[in-house]
Amino acid sequence: MYIGKQSHIQRRAIILLVVLLLLAVAPPTEAQEVAIGTATATVLSAVTVTATAALAFGNVYQGVTASIANNNASAAIFTISGQANAGVTLYFQLPEYLTLTTGGDRMNISFSATDASIDTTGANNPATMAGTKGWQDTDPRGLPSTATIGSAGTSVYLGGKVYPSAFQQAGSYSADIILTVSYNGT
Amino acid sequence: MNTRNHVRRYRNVILLIAIVMSISSHIMASILVAPTVVFLSDKARTQRMTIQNPTDGPVEVSIYFSFGIPESDSLGNISVELKDDNVTDPRSALGWIKAFPRKVVVPAQQSQIIRLVARPPENLPDGEYWARIVFSSQSAQTELPPPTEDGAITTKLNMIMRTAIQVKYRTGDLVANLELNQTGVTHEGNKVHVLLDMTNRGNVSYMGVLTCRLLDSDGEEILKNRSNIAIYRDLKRRIDFTLPEGSKLPYKVDVEISPDGRTDVPVTDMIKGNKIKTVAIVETQ
Repeated sequence: MYIGKQSHIQRRAIILLVVLLLLAVAPPTEAQEVAIGTATATVLSAVTVTATAALAFGNVYQGVTASIANNNASAAIFTISGQANAGVTLYFQLPEYLTLTTGGDRMNISFSATDASIDTTGANNPATMAGTKGWQDTDPRGLPSTATIGSAGTSVYLGGKVYPSAFQQAGSYSADIILTVSYNGT
Repeated sequence: MNTRNHVRRYRNVILLIAIVMSISSHIMASILVAPTVVFLSDKARTQRMTIQNPTDGPVEVSIYFSFGIPESDSLGNISVELKDDNVTDPRSALGWIKAFPRKVVVPAQQSQIIRLVARPPENLPDGEYWARIVFSSQSAQTELPPPTEDGAITTKLNMIMRTAIQVKYRTGDLVANLELNQTGVTHEGNKVHVLLDMTNRGNVSYMGVLTCRLLDSDGEEILKNRSNIAIYRDLKRRIDFTLPEGSKLPYKVDVEISPDGRTDVPVTDMIKGNKIKTVAIVETQ
């Protein structure tokens, strides 16, 4: 125990000596460089678009249409954040059908003139959407031209309807929903 | 008592982590683009942008150019229509501004620099030329969910996000000058609509801040609207006010359009134009 403590003290003394020697031989300019070092940062305005949730129909069945309202928990959610109150043009490109991934069949999908809502509170919760929060039950093919980014972001909710035919081939079907966001004020 | 506090604290921390994890796993894909407007010139023909993936999964990004400037209809509805080809606008920079790389997979929580280079045609007249750089992104993980029952049909809708950022190339002597042709104000029920008819007389887009103040007959402010504007040619801009219950009758609107006060554009990139102030009396219908 005593020997261990002694060697520990010796080791610390050697380290201290090495540090002092290094400080003694180090050129003074290095110390100056540290002293005059500056930090710079450039602040840039940014816009973030997020696909928060997909339009999720789950399993659907032959001959049974399935629809999801824009205030349903399974509605699609896009979120836009950026400079508060900035005017934006929002433009949806929506599919007319989904394609069987293995090919050979497709399934119709439709979006009505009330299938979208724009929530300028950025709540990201379709169930809490109300008319006072932005634009409720609006046309996804003609979203309001006066839409803005809310201080906590803006959420866009989208519902839709799929029409599996009585002879629809079983399997996985897919399509693209595209939302384009452009600033109006730049 | 201390042990109970510790348990409570850890329980809250675990709950918080669970909430954060559930939110982050809910997010499918996200892309941050900066800045929101890019300036190139005959003196600085290269520029850089940053794209960032703030999510926990990779994001696939394709980059291309379109043309689109804010335009309006007679009611003052503004929209940006993007055109990819057959663009005949003499102010279009489509085709001679390029971006590198044009396709990239941004890993989770990582950034990517995109470089822009302008190679304008010779003898370009003085002024500003425009294009929109479009970042098209989606989750790089696009597996389809298998049907959970035999013979079932399952669907997957790929959520694709496109962010269109204005790119402006400037050359020669630059002038920003805006003219306010007409201001109309109508009052119907609890709504007040302001319609501004403006024309850009300069050779660059006029960038500024539009401030509209709705006042009562005593000059007291009822409501205020402040927004960034960019006028490329002619533009009608509508501002809608919804009067709060019990508010005094609106009497007039103070309008100010100023090149000052933009926080999203560096001062060094602003071509400062004229300032406009006007007052319009509210017409009740």
